[in-house]
Amino acid sequence: MAKYIVRRLLLMIPTVIGVTMLVFFCMSLRPGGVAAAMNLEGNMRPQEREALRQYLNRRYGLDKPLIVQYGRWLNQVLPIGFKYDETGKSTGFGFKVPDLGHSRLRDRPVLGLVAETLPVTLLLNLLTIPLVYGVAITTGIYAARHRGKWFDVSSGVLFFALWSMPVMWVGAMLFGFFASEKYFRWFPTGGLHDTMAEHMKFLPMWTAAGFERGWLLDTAWHLVLPIFCMTYGGYAFLSKLMRASILDNLSADYARTARAKGVGEHAVLLRHVFRNSLIPLITVGAGILPGLLGGSVIIERIFSINGMGNLVIDAINQNDNEMVLSITFVVALIGTISLLLADISYAIADPRVSYE
Amino acid sequence: MVRRNRAVQSYLTGVIRDTLGRWGARFGLAWLIGITFLAVFAPLLANSRPFLIKMDNQWSSPMLRHFTPADVTLLVTALAAVTLLLLRRIPIWIRWVTLAVVVVVTLVFSLIYVNPPKTEIYSIYREAAALGRVQFVLNAPIPYSPSDYLRDQTNSDPSPSLQHWLGCEELGSDVASRLIHASRIALAIGFIAEGIAVVIGVIIGALMGYFAGVVDIIGMRLVEIFSAIPTLYLLLAFVAYFGRNIYIIMVIIGMTSWTGYTVFTRAEFLRLRKQDFVQAAQALGLPLRSILFRHMFPNGMSPVLVSLSFGVASAILAEATLSFLGLGVVGAPSWGQLLNQATKGGGGFRWWLAVYPGLVIFLTVFGYNLIGESVRDAVDPHLKKASML
Repeated sequence: MAKYIVRRLLLMIPTVIGVTMLVFFCMSLRPGGVAAAMNLEGNMRPQEREALRQYLNRRYGLDKPLIVQYGRWLNQVLPIGFKYDETGKSTGFGFKVPDLGHSRLRDRPVLGLVAETLPVTLLLNLLTIPLVYGVAITTGIYAARHRGKWFDVSSGVLFFALWSMPVMWVGAMLFGFFASEKYFRWFPTGGLHDTMAEHMKFLPMWTAAGFERGWLLDTAWHLVLPIFCMTYGGYAFLSKLMRASILDNLSADYARTARAKGVGEHAVLLRHVFRNSLIPLITVGAGILPGLLGGSVIIERIFSINGMGNLVIDAINQNDNEMVLSITFVVALIGTISLLLADISYAIADPRVSYE
Repeated sequence: MVRRNRAVQSYLTGVIRDTLGRWGARFGLAWLIGITFLAVFAPLLANSRPFLIKMDNQWSSPMLRHFTPADVTLLVTALAAVTLLLLRRIPIWIRWVTLAVVVVVTLVFSLIYVNPPKTEIYSIYREAAALGRVQFVLNAPIPYSPSDYLRDQTNSDPSPSLQHWLGCEELGSDVASRLIHASRIALAIGFIAEGIAVVIGVIIGALMGYFAGVVDIIGMRLVEIFSAIPTLYLLLAFVAYFGRNIYIIMVIIGMTSWTGYTVFTRAEFLRLRKQDFVQAAQALGLPLRSILFRHMFPNGMSPVLVSLSFGVASAILAEATLSFLGLGVVGAPSWGQLLNQATKGGGGFRWWLAVYPGLVIFLTVFGYNLIGESVRDAVDPHLKKASML
């Protein structure tokens, strides 16, 4: 087991390097380079403009070969590497704060922006996973127990239809009908908190002025529609997996042995079969994170939540390439780590799995 | 050679027949045929230019005059496809070749000989009619072109009415017309992007599965790289750098969605590589291309077949998502772009821009998914049968 994990960790190194190369060369292939991104407008003679462009290229190292540029960029974004001081002199090798570049759009270091928006995106995603699992596991068990009955069939069809619904459609409809002023104004139009959330108590309580919803309930209220949009599409796959897994295990030898001992059907299901049926669901758990991260871009856009997805769209619309590059890099890192976790949890959850 | 062909065909025909027997596939197929019909006949269904008009005592057909090479090619291809579908006597491969020849010849000829006028003002026919200069006019069922912004009309209410059945979008053009014309982009994206993805995915997967070992490890890293980055982020980054041309978007969607095919093809080829017929092909000294794609691929194509339909659905969804985020094709109508306008801008929520385009996207994606599900169910027993033998 330990051997497997170590090998898997070592295999992660080429993946991360590949991801960074993909992201970097994608950027370097774009027409223009950094100088084009900077504003070279203004009252300048052609020679002056050319000189400024060359200066900028030299300043940002764009006159060097691509592979050198890549090395420098990699050194810059990794938390371990060669350190440089203000004047560009090397101060040795060691741990440092990764530098994700400078956002032209917000005029701030990208690292700070990521540190601000990443928790929001992760909050959305990490709230989604348990909700999807809860619904999928319950319906999966129920559908397996009543196989072929109306609940099995109808939940299958319903989840399949939900899975096919584009998240932007559902999001736009929910936003339009339940959050806009024109129809039912049951939910807030956007953001994660009310403007007054800073002054709220944490928990809801009754005060002299009446009911006060508090910070927690306020956030939950803001999260209802976005979280619904993030979850509904995931039921189909997981509940089908759970159902198939339960059915597989119900006809397994150990379940028959349990029944032969005289264990009731209910206990066989909940005590024996249930735990084994969870294995495939555990193993896909971490692997669905990249897909969710993609989906949350749309949700963040519709409900104006200031997460990384919204940031990246703004960056693209404003041609802030460095920010696009850095955020893609961060998201790719999260994706790589979650794939790694998926593989390791596969090996841990099911001892029968061998990787020799 | 002949026997192999028959085996492949009978397997394929079996799967197709089995698939078509399921209600999901029938529903999906019916919807897709409808969408294809709209895409092919778009200029005849929704056009500001009358089909036939007698203006100032002169007969003319502005619609025909403004046909683009794409319109002509699509119409001729559709006609040829339907004709060939009805000719049951002719072997299938002759029909495919004929269709391909027809497409190429029409495309070349229409590119040379069909030269629609570059610009024309849409409103001249409406204005002429208002002035009484028109003696006879035969309009399209929806007499509005997708890029006809109706600048001459004073009706400012964009919501659905008798005149505009599905309402108008923010620039004033007819939503129904835009929906119909946008089905072309959706269908084209589905086929071309997924075609690219299948070719890349199958080639890489085949090499990985066949050679195993080091090639497999390297290939797996490549797959991991592409599946670690959420496709949407990759798409966004690529589109940001390479522009919003429709063909570039197709290529980008194709190049970011091939990993599924690779994983499936690899698994099948790993299973097949030690089988007798493959070893026989190797012993005969056949070239690698022949071993991989003539002998192994027909035996390991079932998973590709299954994921194809789902893949087309996700390609269409990817394009709609890009358009929805405002990063899609510029100028041409697109379903996602209309959906984007529902909540954007002033004037609050425009429900007709959310309901109809969203419904069309949903039904198309649902249709492809239903077909994919039916193919999976149809292929599964075949797989089981094959493994039992």
